[in-house]
Amino acid sequence: MASSSGNDDDLTIPRAAINKMIKEVLPNVRVANDARELVVNCCTEFIHLISSEANEICNKSDKKTISPEHVINALESLGFASYITEVKDVLQECKTVALKRRKASSRLENLGIPEEELLRQQQELFAKARQQQAELAQQEWLQMQQAAQQAQMAAASASASQQAGSSQDEDDEEDM
Amino acid sequence: MKMSQNTPDKDEDQTSTSQKTISLPISRVRLIMKSSPDVNCINQDALFLTTKATELFVQHLAVSSYNNRAKQETKSLSYSDLANTAEENDTFQFLTDILPKKILAGDYLKSLEQLQEDDADF
Repeated sequence: MASSSGNDDDLTIPRAAINKMIKEVLPNVRVANDARELVVNCCTEFIHLISSEANEICNKSDKKTISPEHVINALESLGFASYITEVKDVLQECKTVALKRRKASSRLENLGIPEEELLRQQQELFAKARQQQAELAQQEWLQMQQAAQQAQMAAASASASQQAGSSQDEDDEEDM
Repeated sequence: MKMSQNTPDKDEDQTSTSQKTISLPISRVRLIMKSSPDVNCINQDALFLTTKATELFVQHLAVSSYNNRAKQETKSLSYSDLANTAEENDTFQFLTDILPKKILAGDYLKSLEQLQEDDADF
């Protein structure tokens, strides 16, 4: 529940997350509200403690970035050595999960099909599309032509009663 | 490296934090770390470690305080249980600054009187 004033010191872990963790280790235990609030603040305090210690260790080394080693040493020197095994395991697990996810997403993109095959399928699809397009265009052209012919015939028969000599021209046109 | 635990409700860990995943929001932990004086760059793996350590800490504190609670006959955890644990346990000593033991007004007045009496002895 970070403060909207943007004050860094008001940063805390969300209460819901804390409640969940407490519930996991102390199921069926009634925990007072002020006690919960306290745990939230202790969390922040702990993070500052570890960060400061790790930072000091980092400064002493020739690195500029706080590394996992620095954090582990900090835990050790602050009396939290008992956490080390488990945090290391989790780190390993996180990396494995991230790796699996990367592999899975690239697998999904390819559907297991090699690139040449994908290209070939793409070409096929394009060819099909072009063919369909051509057929469609031809149909439209035919329809247009038929419509035009009918229009002409209608016009011709209308004028045939006026001009007897024009029937010769019509025959020529129909042969087209 | 993109992690899914950047927001509280998107964590993959649906069950227990004792399993090999993290349920605390990592981005929040990073923010808190950076608000520490002089802290600059934190490696992503170092961030994971700190987040998990914080989870373990919360549970460690809760369990220790509960086992040590004043009212053993009830299944409850109070503020003073936490405060007492901080005071009595070396590992949790660092918390005493933010965990003043709540003191009953009566006791406070008594201790004030005691101080005054001590002064009077000079």
